[in-house]
Amino acid sequence: MFALNDITFTARRGEILGLIGPNGAGKTTLLEILSGLLPADRGSVRWDEIPLPTGRRKHVMFYLPEAVEPYPDRRAIDVLVLFAELFGQPDSRLSGIIEQLALSPVLQTRVAALSKGYRRRLLLALGLLAPQPLVMIDEPFDGLDLKQTREVMAVLRTLCGADRSLLLSIHQLSDAERLCDRFVLLSAGSVRGEGNLEDLRARAGQGHVGLEEVFLALT
Amino acid sequence: MPSPDTAQPRHGPFFTLLNKEWRDILAGQTIWVLLLLVSLLVGYSYTQAVTLYGEASKPAQQLPEVARSLSPLDGVFVPTFGALYLANTFLLPFIAIRSIASERQTGGHKLLLQLPCWLSTIVTAKVVALLAVWLIATLPCLTVVALWSSSGGHVGWAEVANLFLGHLLYAAVVVGISFVAAAVAESSATAAILTLAATLGFWVLDFAAAGEGGLLKSLSNLSLTTLLRGFEQGVFSSITMFGALIASAVLIIIAGILIDLRVTLAHKLLTSALAAVFAAGLAAGVAIRPLNVDTTEDGRNSFPPADAATLAGLDKPLHVLVRLAPEDPRYIDFERKVLSKLRRSVRDFAVTLQSDTRSGLFENSDTYGVMVYRYDGKQAESRSTGEGEVLPLIYGLAGIERKAVADRDPYPGYPLQARTDLAQVWFYGLLPLLILAAWVLAHRQATAWPPRTSQAIRSRIRTRRPFHGGM
Repeated sequence: MFALNDITFTARRGEILGLIGPNGAGKTTLLEILSGLLPADRGSVRWDEIPLPTGRRKHVMFYLPEAVEPYPDRRAIDVLVLFAELFGQPDSRLSGIIEQLALSPVLQTRVAALSKGYRRRLLLALGLLAPQPLVMIDEPFDGLDLKQTREVMAVLRTLCGADRSLLLSIHQLSDAERLCDRFVLLSAGSVRGEGNLEDLRARAGQGHVGLEEVFLALT
Repeated sequence: MPSPDTAQPRHGPFFTLLNKEWRDILAGQTIWVLLLLVSLLVGYSYTQAVTLYGEASKPAQQLPEVARSLSPLDGVFVPTFGALYLANTFLLPFIAIRSIASERQTGGHKLLLQLPCWLSTIVTAKVVALLAVWLIATLPCLTVVALWSSSGGHVGWAEVANLFLGHLLYAAVVVGISFVAAAVAESSATAAILTLAATLGFWVLDFAAAGEGGLLKSLSNLSLTTLLRGFEQGVFSSITMFGALIASAVLIIIAGILIDLRVTLAHKLLTSALAAVFAAGLAAGVAIRPLNVDTTEDGRNSFPPADAATLAGLDKPLHVLVRLAPEDPRYIDFERKVLSKLRRSVRDFAVTLQSDTRSGLFENSDTYGVMVYRYDGKQAESRSTGEGEVLPLIYGLAGIERKAVADRDPYPGYPLQARTDLAQVWFYGLLPLLILAAWVLAHRQATAWPPRTSQAIRSRIRTRRPFHGGM
């Protein structure tokens, strides 16, 4: 029995690719395997058509897990400065990310004392500091209210560009539909569809319907 | 001066990680508790030791023979450094475990493993930070040397340095065990239990092996307490030193292998086994040419220079069959006064212990108590357990003469009745206050701005201006 089976998809340069699926579909497992944090029985990752062994993946992709609380005893600014330094990012970049994610009121607060929303933003800030051209984020909007979700979407959109792609694992289909350029539909460890909403509608034989209906039709 | 604004880290990732580890340790409470306890324990041990040493020194002023038996190593430094042993056994593991387990529990290691550096860099930073912690924890012990010296006490620098080295090696292996426990266990509490089970297990092993021979005795020779005991007795052994360093290094490497999420369990087990085999081979290689040095000033662990030089010239195997029970006081005496010295002096030396009982109380054999010496096809017997009789017998078997080498000066002994008032003020008052002050300073440091934070960020925070409406 396999957690994931016969998964193949492509992430394009500069796009936001949504990994869509219900809880238990295998999204987190897939992201951990891609990042090299979880060994796979078989399979390969290619970057610009060149095979990318596990040990070299951290040079081109960075994975931001959902359920992490790095350094709970340290202040938010300590964690941000640490990762900015480790990633070789200048202060101007760090300062810009702090501004984009509205983290300034809590920089002196211990990570353990942050609200869920701020903790999520802190993690996103770490993801934004990562210099890798592909950043994979597990449930970026978990813990955020509607307004915060919109703001973070705007930040992610500005982050994505010619030199950076995003792979986001999202279980809220409405959020995914609003943000992502293309989708990989995952259910029970298998890919049920890949493409933009139009492609998926065509594949599902649906008319002008939303992602939810398409997903239900394909899974 | 403007803050640096460069795309390159000011230091390599190693120094950034080291700084992180160091700040993590200082931000925690364990190190300060450790320092306070070490200060009090060292103070108590030193006061007790000096008082007892002073009492033993009273008759020595009239009796030179008594004075010769008074060594500051045994009387003052070994008992005082015993406080460090307790700290290494019961407190240091918690700091070591925290540095691995906290990141595993919070998921921080998933981020660290994706950093643009080797896993070995991450682990090395942790080890170096812990080494710094250990060195700080030894400061109270080092002040003992200064106090003893300032009160007129004699310091045998070689034997004290050797003792210090023994505790360092002990701590290094304890850190290795703690790392492996933290890498295996799901929680810090479980890791602490595993580590204590290992360190206390060595005590049990030593207790069980006392007076035993065979496998149990061989195993107990590898225990941590045995490792330390040699250094406490003033013996520097290259095998012990390299063995401990190799054991510590391989445990830390195995911990690194185990915390790596990127490989399968089978791969981890295989790599760990290979590392262990490689370490065992390395240890065996180190054991080929052992170096043993008696660092004590009274030369208690070695024969006189003339005998040592003569025995070093034996080029064939020397075997001794000891017909004594392991718990027989004669055997213990023989082991301490002759056999242990022969092991360090003769290149190819073996001992076989032979008895029907453990204590020797009910041995009926006529040959019980007879030691048989075999060298180059010849053999001789003796019931003596003193070097004065045994060495000539060996020389006779080998057909050699005792070399003419100048003997060392007789050990004078260093009796001293020293006061402990200053030490008590230092260890129970000033030093704890200094540690508390350092604790407060470290706390302030932890809440100060990180060194790299730019003025732009600081001014943002001071004004508390929300962005996009804040949260």
